[in-house]
Amino acid sequence: MARVARLAQRIPIVLMAIFIILPMVAVLLYSFATRWTSNILPDGYTFEHWIDGFTDARFAAVLVRTLLLAIACAVLDLILVTPAVYWQKVRNPRIRPFLELAAAIPFAIPFVVIAFGLLALSGRFAPQLQGTLWLLLPAHAAVAFSFVYWAVDSSMTSAGVARLSEAARTCGAGPMTILWRVVLPNIGPGIASGALLAFGASFNEIALVQMLVGNRFETVPLYMLNLLKGSNADFNLLAVMTSVTFLVTLVLSIAVVYVNGGATTQLANTNPGRRETQ
Amino acid sequence: MADQLSFGLASTRGRSSHLRRFASRLLVWLADWSMALPLLIVSALMLVAPMVAMFAGSFIDGNGQMSLVNWSDTLGSVASQRAIGNSLLLGVTVATITLIIGGPLSWQVSRMLRLGRAFSLGLLNVAANFSGIGLGFAFVAALGTYGMVTLAMQALGLPFSPVSQSSFWGMVIAYEYGNIPLFVLLSLPAMSLLRDEWWEAAQTASATRWQFWRHIGLPILMPLMLADWLLIFTWSVGMYGLPLALVGSAPRAFRLITVEMGQSMVGSLFGVNHVPVYAVILMVIATITLLAYRLIVRRAMQWLV
Repeated sequence: MARVARLAQRIPIVLMAIFIILPMVAVLLYSFATRWTSNILPDGYTFEHWIDGFTDARFAAVLVRTLLLAIACAVLDLILVTPAVYWQKVRNPRIRPFLELAAAIPFAIPFVVIAFGLLALSGRFAPQLQGTLWLLLPAHAAVAFSFVYWAVDSSMTSAGVARLSEAARTCGAGPMTILWRVVLPNIGPGIASGALLAFGASFNEIALVQMLVGNRFETVPLYMLNLLKGSNADFNLLAVMTSVTFLVTLVLSIAVVYVNGGATTQLANTNPGRRETQ
Repeated sequence: MADQLSFGLASTRGRSSHLRRFASRLLVWLADWSMALPLLIVSALMLVAPMVAMFAGSFIDGNGQMSLVNWSDTLGSVASQRAIGNSLLLGVTVATITLIIGGPLSWQVSRMLRLGRAFSLGLLNVAANFSGIGLGFAFVAALGTYGMVTLAMQALGLPFSPVSQSSFWGMVIAYEYGNIPLFVLLSLPAMSLLRDEWWEAAQTASATRWQFWRHIGLPILMPLMLADWLLIFTWSVGMYGLPLALVGSAPRAFRLITVEMGQSMVGSLFGVNHVPVYAVILMVIATITLLAYRLIVRRAMQWLV
């Protein structure tokens, strides 16, 4: 009787698991299906769509482009955020409210709003930037920086960076030396998880890409949207790309948990000050 | 003469020392902010300025004059009213369903043993991060006319016809995919505020499970759950990629603020002046939510810690 009750308790989480897994399974099957119109499972299976995808010039270019953009965004965010948080901790606490406010913006404000604002501003003051990477990359860095900020901030706090750098200063080290040789080695997990989250945010972002560069710089989400909306949509190819993005998401999720020593339950969309997005 | 000279020297010395003091103060200020300046400048240009531009843009008409014409145009148009109403309705519905399903689910996960917990958290994390266009397509692949679930139901002989992905309930189902897991992850820390000893104490006082929840559990958790409800509501209203994929090229789709904004850009010029107004509405919702969230969490935590 108790056993039945315990099993019954499990029903909600099992139903949720099915709800989560079913669409993923459908996509995976689609990417391997020869023809699939009337039975529960596809009529046959093939690797053809995967091979087609990766040998297709557009598909491959889209994937490489998006990966490079996401890496650039993560690196830029680290370069921007780490010194700022370090300086706030060891020199000037008055920086903090400004960083908190800036981090709250991408947390709460939809990216479409930022995208249209940037479109209007760049049209007015810097039309030569429109449609270029020089607008898209800083925009992605700006909307993804809160993830890096929260990760770096909490790992600097727990590493006791203020005391570390005081000790290093007594030994005659300058700020850059301290940052590079004392602080960075102590906040590895924060840097890694922040970078992974920023990478993921840029990889999946569509509003800014669509508004600021459009098809001149087709990224994975934009490519999928174009395929989905096209009149002769190739759903099998779309399924391959969706599987790829799903794999990227999965790897990122596992990597974040791994670099945090398995302790974290908080990921991309779940942060302290909050969380918070889009 | 000597007097005059020394006086002149003194005054130049005075001026230059004033200048030097100003310069040194500027240097100190620069040093105080230096390492944070690049980030602050990027945030100001890429986050704050666009918001200001949208806000100002909503009060400027086609000729560059200050006016309320964008607002009266937008709020007076039936299509816009419907889009605004739809977005709010969708946000409220999604957040409420999320709360009703996610709350108990979160409680359950918080009381799981290690293995089950790790597995559930992994699954929820992946679902919370799988979003946008990919998720939209996944729903078409599962619940579309030729989707896997649809075909399975029909193969079993059930007269199952799926809700259209671009209809209200179709969107609600797709939104819940990411939002319920997100809600569980958000509210897990709150669940551990409720100590097991309190349930034991309540039992010693011969309270039923219902009484425990009615008088202890819910009063403690409700404020925090409402705060998470607010976040889910705001994020749902602001979602862009997912509804865009679900709407696809369906002509009779459920209209939403964010999708309308995107389409005014891609399509004709019609309705372009609605965009800044929509943007301001979204910003107001986000700001109110954020302030209310902080207030609620602070008050709820006050007596707990």
